[in-house]
Amino acid sequence: MNITVAGIGMTKFGELWDASPRWLAGQAVTAAIRDSGVEKKSIQGLFVANMLSGMLGMQGHLGALFAEELGLSGVPAYTVEGACASGGLAVHAGVMSILSGQYDTVCVLGVEKMTDHKPELVSSALMGAGSNEERLAGATFPGLYAILARSHMEKYGTTEKQLASVAVKNHFHASLNALAQFTHPITVEQVLRSSCVADPLKLLDCSPVTDGAAAVILTKHQSKKSGVHIVASAVATDTLGLAGRKSLTELVATKQAALKAFTQAGVEQKDIQFAEVHDCFTIAEILAIEDMGFGRKGEVGTNMEKGIYTLGTAEHIVINSSGGLKGCGHPIGATGVKQIVEVTSQLRGVCGKRQVKQARVGLTHNVGGSGATAVVHILKT
Amino acid sequence: MISPVKIWRNQKHFTKLIGKTGRIVSWTMIRVPPDGFSEQAPYPLAVVRLDGGIHITAQVVDWENDQCVTNQKVVTVIRRTIDTTADGVIPYGVKVKPV
Repeated sequence: MNITVAGIGMTKFGELWDASPRWLAGQAVTAAIRDSGVEKKSIQGLFVANMLSGMLGMQGHLGALFAEELGLSGVPAYTVEGACASGGLAVHAGVMSILSGQYDTVCVLGVEKMTDHKPELVSSALMGAGSNEERLAGATFPGLYAILARSHMEKYGTTEKQLASVAVKNHFHASLNALAQFTHPITVEQVLRSSCVADPLKLLDCSPVTDGAAAVILTKHQSKKSGVHIVASAVATDTLGLAGRKSLTELVATKQAALKAFTQAGVEQKDIQFAEVHDCFTIAEILAIEDMGFGRKGEVGTNMEKGIYTLGTAEHIVINSSGGLKGCGHPIGATGVKQIVEVTSQLRGVCGKRQVKQARVGLTHNVGGSGATAVVHILKT
Repeated sequence: MISPVKIWRNQKHFTKLIGKTGRIVSWTMIRVPPDGFSEQAPYPLAVVRLDGGIHITAQVVDWENDQCVTNQKVVTVIRRTIDTTADGVIPYGVKVKPV
């Protein structure tokens, strides 16, 4: 597999009260097309990643909507929904469409507008990613990840302080990213003192509600401007609800998707210098690092506290240089596409203060729900 | 969204789960509830392994402070789940009670 990431674009992530979904999409796609040097008329397919528009805004049919908005009317356009993994899945669908031989060049757009609606409604709509049993039980996503966190703590001795150090690292990285939602560093004490959302997870263990869009132009052609390629694109699924899982201390879909991706790319964990992983909650980043084999089960918490995944440590993999979902923000459908934008930027060496040294191979990991979908991409220069 | 038809259809399934004992595998306390649950919050939510091996996710009711722990023995009971809807339907479902 060798798909060129020809162009990338993203908006500022945050509480963007005056920005509409159309405006956000326009900004991201226009930037990606300009960056690619590809002419708009050579785009043969549009893949739109979004989760909540139908449920919160009563607007479906986003493929056609954004094709019209972006001046791509006539082009085949699709909506891809896989909860918080919608973005990664849309990139996967875009890659598959090129590999099928039908399209040469496609645009993948991830967009989500979350702050137009009151928090309880957003929370309920997000539970659309869970099972009916979980919804009737009054579960929330912080609650489901809190259940995973407690299992991990009881089995491996992971501490609340170790969880907090994930948020501290990701806020530090986000403070070096002008497009991030949170550009202020935080301390472990601030995380531990923040209000409890679902024990043991506190407010600062959770990724925020975010508006934003990200877009990439993928092509089978070599690009004069960008030498970044997707060399693996893998997806795996698991039971929708937590109750169906054999283990509550790992996400099997992550393991399976990562294994497939490593095989496709012909690389091993040690070949990868940096990764954007799905830290919707602090425990999720620890699970991701363990389940993809970048750290041993039960040891990642301790290493997180030591700071080995933070920028500037040359001998270990850097995790979430963008600030991750926690620091950069988590506009659901946009997140998986933004991960590709960040890894491409790092591989181009244009990340300034947050540049990973000698970045040659990067990985993205995007999760839907409490682990029912996992998408892993590997990119190389 | 709550659909009276869906509630009617699902009751056949959930009543099969009533009166079964099991143990808490892991749990949390929901302090920021979703829409329709604000009157009940804060409430414990648990993944429970029922005797026989089925796992369910359910709210814990009628609990004392020392009973929200992993491995606590519980029994499944019928309780009202979400706030009554504009249709006047009172939705019921499975919750668990420490024993």
